[in-house]
Amino acid sequence: MKAKDLMIPLQDYLKPENTLKEAVNLLLTAKRGEEKVGVKGLPVLDKNGTLMGMLSMGDILKAVFPSYMSMMDLGEFTWDGMVESMAKKVSGKKVEALMTEPVVTVDEDASLMECVDHMIKKNVKRLPVLDGSGRVVGMIYERDVFSAITKAMLDENDGGAK
Amino acid sequence: MTQETAAASQPFVMDTAFWTATTIFLLAYAAIISEKIHKTIIAIFGAGLILIFKILQQHEAFHVEEFGIDWNVIFLLISMMVIINLMRPTGVFEYIAVKSAKWGKGEPFRIMVIFAIVTAVLSALLDNVTTVLLITPVTLFIADALEVDPIPYLISCALASNIGGTATLIGDPPNIMIASKAQLDFMAFIYHLAPVVVVMMIAYLFAIKFIWGKKLKTREELKKRIMAMNENEAIKDPVMLKKSLFVLAVVLTGFVFHGVLHFQPATVALFGAGLLLLLSKTHEPHHILAEIEWPTIFFFMGLFIIVGGVVKVGLIKWMSMQILELTQGNMFATSMVVMWFSAFASAIVDNIPYVATMNPLIVDMARQLWPNLSGVQLLQHPDLMPIWWSLALGACLGGNGTAIGSSANVIVVGMSEKAGSKISFMKFMAYGMPLMIMTVLISTIYVWLRYYVMKI
Repeated sequence: MKAKDLMIPLQDYLKPENTLKEAVNLLLTAKRGEEKVGVKGLPVLDKNGTLMGMLSMGDILKAVFPSYMSMMDLGEFTWDGMVESMAKKVSGKKVEALMTEPVVTVDEDASLMECVDHMIKKNVKRLPVLDGSGRVVGMIYERDVFSAITKAMLDENDGGAK
Repeated sequence: MTQETAAASQPFVMDTAFWTATTIFLLAYAAIISEKIHKTIIAIFGAGLILIFKILQQHEAFHVEEFGIDWNVIFLLISMMVIINLMRPTGVFEYIAVKSAKWGKGEPFRIMVIFAIVTAVLSALLDNVTTVLLITPVTLFIADALEVDPIPYLISCALASNIGGTATLIGDPPNIMIASKAQLDFMAFIYHLAPVVVVMMIAYLFAIKFIWGKKLKTREELKKRIMAMNENEAIKDPVMLKKSLFVLAVVLTGFVFHGVLHFQPATVALFGAGLLLLLSKTHEPHHILAEIEWPTIFFFMGLFIIVGGVVKVGLIKWMSMQILELTQGNMFATSMVVMWFSAFASAIVDNIPYVATMNPLIVDMARQLWPNLSGVQLLQHPDLMPIWWSLALGACLGGNGTAIGSSANVIVVGMSEKAGSKISFMKFMAYGMPLMIMTVLISTIYVWLRYYVMKI
């Protein structure tokens, strides 16, 4: 199986100039096929369709986490409502300031194992799939790889039961 | 000693070596100021050029005190960094910060004053960069808790760290370098610089009261956030904390008596670093050693070699002759020129290369004034001492003038921008420059009164 056989064709994506508020809204309502299920991360494309970065739930957690908190152990001293007030503070920030870049991508003809290789070694949960001209044509999510694995296992079990 | 006197009597000519070394030196300075290439890379590459062009022999760069790397400075810095890196995970610095905020009772200006004092004291005992690395995150945190503008707090801490660091031998890199060059001990700095720093600090607190005293306000319910914090939760490793405090006490005692016991400060610090590493029972010194600020250390090493090059070819001697000509050998005028020039120069250029250049310049000047003396008699000639103190005061305090004047300022501005509060160059200077001038004025009066009127 190749990346293009497994990927979900690209539907929803973010623009660099989107605010975080707009971004979380799209993350919540992103479609998977016909269904609105929400996703944990989306690619960021500029107006020419070039991949600029990825914005995931992790990036949004980092956005509300003040940089000074990572420099010292202050977790015990935080107060109620701090996350909420930080969330309000950063809601107007632009996606381009918070997205993760550069992005780990795969070619549409990449093997499934190559996708797994990236997911494990580079610790990513979703991979944009690029066509020959470098355009994003779809996304491979961890759960899609997982479903391919389960399918293979169950097929094998069937074979053994004969 | 023979090498030192030999160099002193060496006649210099403006030959190819002179111009090669001068060009490398000036280009390195220009490149450091332009900030286009990282200053450490410039220093290492410049040192490489000095050696490749045979301005200095490798032996001179590595093993001759006069021209080469000052290992006393290098090991003092490395050892203090090791001690602090081992102390950090204990949580003691978080403890101090939270405790200070609680002393401030959640009152915004009271907290500002307490933070300024704590920063100044820590800067005197540790180095400024470490201090602001510890204080800045907590300052931003407390400002968020009180919902006040963090910028006044950050500027105030940066300025206080430069003032506080001036007080001791280990407080600020210029002092470490001056102490090593002039063979001055820890207590000499306490005796000559700490008193004026205390006066400056008091003046500084009045100044910040005047500037920010009435502007900082918060609400009662926000103060409760501060008061609800329990500083004891900060301590992660009480056993290691006790060991660290013990070693710190040993090191500070060592500093106080190093002159009497005839140990160099680096010996004391290296012993402390070794002792704490041993007591920590770590099996992975790798991490602790990796966290040493190697770029800073290599910056120093490269600069020592570059400056050694221009010392050898006589540029520095020529510069010292110009100063003496300007002041016509009047020592008070010389110390004032040194102090004020140092202050403005350090506001623009990193004070580390500046002092690396000024140190040999002052020694060369002393040799012209007292050609028959050598060693400590020359370096610590009674008429020369006020010049060393003027250099220390000017170079340390000058760092307050602009956002790039000292490493502490650069770090504070960088961290605060990362946290979303940008401090522009002009904004920093609007507070930094007047306060720098105020502290240098106090130093001027002090040096004049103490060394030229009262002569004590």
